[in-house]
Amino acid sequence: MSDETKNGITRREFIGAGLAGAAMLSMPPILRAQNRTLKVGVYGGYFKDSFDKHIFPDFTKETGIEVQSVAEPTGEAWLVQLQNAARAGQAPADVSMMAQVPRLKGANAKLWAPLDAAKLDNRKYLLDNFVHTYDDGSISGLGAVSWYITLVTNTDTYPEPPESWAAFWDPANRDKLGLLALVSNSFLLEITAKTFFNGHDSLKSEDDILKVLDKLAEVKPNVRLWYRDEGQFQQALQSGEIPMGQYYHDVTGLAAADGFPVRSTFPKEGGVLDSGSWCVSKASNRLEEAHLFMNYMCRPDIQAKLARRVGTAPTVKREHLDLSDEEFAAVASDKPPILPYYQMYLDRGDWLSDRWTAMITG
Amino acid sequence: MSTTATEGTTARKWLLSYPTLMLGVFFVGPFGIMLAVSFFQRVESAFYKPAFVFSNYARLFSSLFLDNLAFSLYLGMLVAVISVSVAFPFTYLLSRMRMRTQTIWLVFLLSVLSLSEVIIAFSWSILLSRTAGVSNLLVWLGLMDHPVGLAPGFTAEVLGYCYLTLPYTVLMLYPSMSRLDPELTEAARTLGASPQRAFFNVVIPAMRQPIVASLILVFVFTLGVYLIPQILGNPEHWTLSVLITDQAVYQSNVPFAAALAVFLLLTSLALILLTFVLGARERIHTAS
Amino acid sequence: MNADSHDALTLQGVSRHFGDVAAVSEVDLTVPRGKLVCFLGPSGCGKTTLLRLIAGLDMPTGGRIEFAGRDVTALPAHKRNLGMVFQSLALFPHLSVAENIAYSLRIRGQDKAAQRQRAEELLDLVRLPGVGDRHVSQLSGGQRQRVAIARALALEPELFLLDEPLSALDAKLREEMQVELKLLQQRVGVTTILVTHDQREAMTMADMVVVMRDGEVQQIGTPLEVYRDPANAFVAEFIGTSNLLQGEVVDDTSVRVDGHVLQAARLPAGAAAGTAVTVSVRPEDVHLYAGDEDGPNRLSGTVAFVRDVGQSVELYVDCGGTRITSHVQPRDKPDVHQGQTVTVELPPEACVVLKR
Repeated sequence: MSDETKNGITRREFIGAGLAGAAMLSMPPILRAQNRTLKVGVYGGYFKDSFDKHIFPDFTKETGIEVQSVAEPTGEAWLVQLQNAARAGQAPADVSMMAQVPRLKGANAKLWAPLDAAKLDNRKYLLDNFVHTYDDGSISGLGAVSWYITLVTNTDTYPEPPESWAAFWDPANRDKLGLLALVSNSFLLEITAKTFFNGHDSLKSEDDILKVLDKLAEVKPNVRLWYRDEGQFQQALQSGEIPMGQYYHDVTGLAAADGFPVRSTFPKEGGVLDSGSWCVSKASNRLEEAHLFMNYMCRPDIQAKLARRVGTAPTVKREHLDLSDEEFAAVASDKPPILPYYQMYLDRGDWLSDRWTAMITG
Repeated sequence: MSTTATEGTTARKWLLSYPTLMLGVFFVGPFGIMLAVSFFQRVESAFYKPAFVFSNYARLFSSLFLDNLAFSLYLGMLVAVISVSVAFPFTYLLSRMRMRTQTIWLVFLLSVLSLSEVIIAFSWSILLSRTAGVSNLLVWLGLMDHPVGLAPGFTAEVLGYCYLTLPYTVLMLYPSMSRLDPELTEAARTLGASPQRAFFNVVIPAMRQPIVASLILVFVFTLGVYLIPQILGNPEHWTLSVLITDQAVYQSNVPFAAALAVFLLLTSLALILLTFVLGARERIHTAS
Repeated sequence: MNADSHDALTLQGVSRHFGDVAAVSEVDLTVPRGKLVCFLGPSGCGKTTLLRLIAGLDMPTGGRIEFAGRDVTALPAHKRNLGMVFQSLALFPHLSVAENIAYSLRIRGQDKAAQRQRAEELLDLVRLPGVGDRHVSQLSGGQRQRVAIARALALEPELFLLDEPLSALDAKLREEMQVELKLLQQRVGVTTILVTHDQREAMTMADMVVVMRDGEVQQIGTPLEVYRDPANAFVAEFIGTSNLLQGEVVDDTSVRVDGHVLQAARLPAGAAAGTAVTVSVRPEDVHLYAGDEDGPNRLSGTVAFVRDVGQSVELYVDCGGTRITSHVQPRDKPDVHQGQTVTVELPPEACVVLKR
């Protein structure tokens, strides 16, 4: 008994030192054989903290698999790190939460281990667009969480909520908007296409995209801040410095609940539904545990818990969830969402980023 | 006897190889990798693969990136000039204060150095905001009609840069300024120059080298800053470093980011060399 | 009174206090036109501070400063028409030799040709022709000295101030420069104030010496007056060497030192019997005889040491606890040696009696 305790302490210390010193190094195989552990990459900060607190302990209790959460940087930096590590046969995380564009890039590079559908039975609860497959039908990833970007306003400045994304173009809102600064995280092209054109169909060719960009360029006089850092905009929205913009639905709801004069509105065209999916690095040798973890995360009760505790929109169909209307509305909406056109970023990401940069810096 | 001499030579060789080694490990190595990557082939839907292509460099010769480079260089020079213009008189006065006062200021400046770019940028964005910023104070004092928001904007960006670079500039100028013989200005005064004139035609010329060194340091330092323009500047005031960050982090186009970085480095290096060449020519001219 | 009759410089009760410390205290001084005055004293005596007050580089906390009858007390340095040579020389490192010299002309907007011509004249004056285009760093120490002097004289200043200008030079060069500088000053005829702690330098160059201590003037006089007739024990000891004997007044013509009664030519006025005094006797005035010969103003003692350095001989004599030094010329050297009993004579006219 006392020996076990001792061993336990030693092992934890070893993990601590390993993480602090060289997070990239995978554990020696002998240690792994004795202890079922899984390294899971989650966005650093709020997401990682919430998962560590509300999700991972219950998973460990149920399966005996200990989760070591790894803080991922946002953007595509993590993809680059995973790729470089995989070349060296190492996996800084076995399972990672990936945004859709890097997930698709990783799939094209065959970075994700093909998964066994038979061991992922709970995928049947997921919305169809959250089951990602390779050409041979093997599974390359499963939807983890999703979130809405909506039209947010300061309630002191705007007593009535706006109804449409078209409010961004209203000359009355000059110098009042805060918008995300990057083409790949703002999804403003999709918003513009849905509001004034024919949705994704208007983004199929470069000529069409330029038309949408021209329309979008009309909002520039109204934009006070093109933000990369969420905190910067949230602070400005709460104070009324920048009273309108696009922001995350759940975070805005939490700020409103804290008493700040802000509101999130699903415009009639719908909110933007972005998401993250679980993918397994091909360099991982904990496939067994990874399957167990992903199957667990697809369970409706876990997705409901995520909605309640973490504030994410479920990737599971509504009918399987026991969320009340109020709980559901806090994270999502029944209105059809605007879906990001991920393939566009994959097909012409560089061209798009240059045109976008030229548009907003011009 | 001969053994000792050989040992001495060996030891000296080792000592001399130390700077070379450090230069290799911390500069040539990383730069070589960056240079190599800048010629790699970008694979848009995935990553990149080793190759030797010029497409990354070809892409940066567009008005988008060249205009941006021109703006970045202009901003760097502007900030360098403002920063040195403000820091120079300050350092001059500081070096003439009591030792204790000097120490307090230097410790304060060192502590300002520990502030990160993010903190500086956020503090200034709040200080210059319409709702909580200093303009409210001016309104309260009756100097303005209504509060205005200056951030983001060009003024805010330049302010942020100068705030970031000022402590470096002062600390850079301070050693030579404190070594400057105070009798130089006194001599000028006894020869009929007012203190202001003595400052301009004795102190500044005598400090020419540290001034040029500080200008170059601030200029180069400014080129590497990428958070302040994002937070305090409008998109038209984003620098090449911001675009490099976007390419590397958000577009995961590391070859192109590397090409941009190499280009920025070479351009600033060329400008610095030009400064030295012009400076040397002027000195020859003066001496002849 | 016409303007010419004014003295070049007049100080009236000039003081400079730093907090509670008086660096210069109540100095009164008159410097006649064309004279060379030395401020002499140990370091910290306030001589440099006083010079800076005269230059206008520092402002007095009390008193009045006049240049040729004009009150300049509140006038800043650049309006005082001075030339000053600094301890560090303070040559401008970014200018050539000629540009350094012509700096004051440039400040007054004179054209380049005039600047150049004046620079050449001054380089000739300081016997340094043809170096106008050189850089200051290409000159030797002595040459820089001359450039600094030339620069200070470029505008024919009313006052020429020098703050320990020769202290950076080696001993031999310093002696040469002292003479040269004095000759130059006589030729140019500029009223000059020189600060030094070297009494030999002061004796060599000065028309008038101002001896200072702790911010106060101790004595003003010609070098010989100060040497021959020091105002107090400090001056007597600081200027040259002196035998200082502690004693008390006996009557109008005599003092008692160590039980011996010495006749003295002059006693301080109004010194009552019993007043404690110091008797100063210059070593070269002390006579020495072999053997024990009693007589007026004579003391007997033993030769403690003989220092014969060729050009002069110094003899140290122990007279019952009091050490007396005698300097004699080699040809006057008495035939005495260490340990021998001798008699020293302190002639009454050589005994300067100073109040303590």
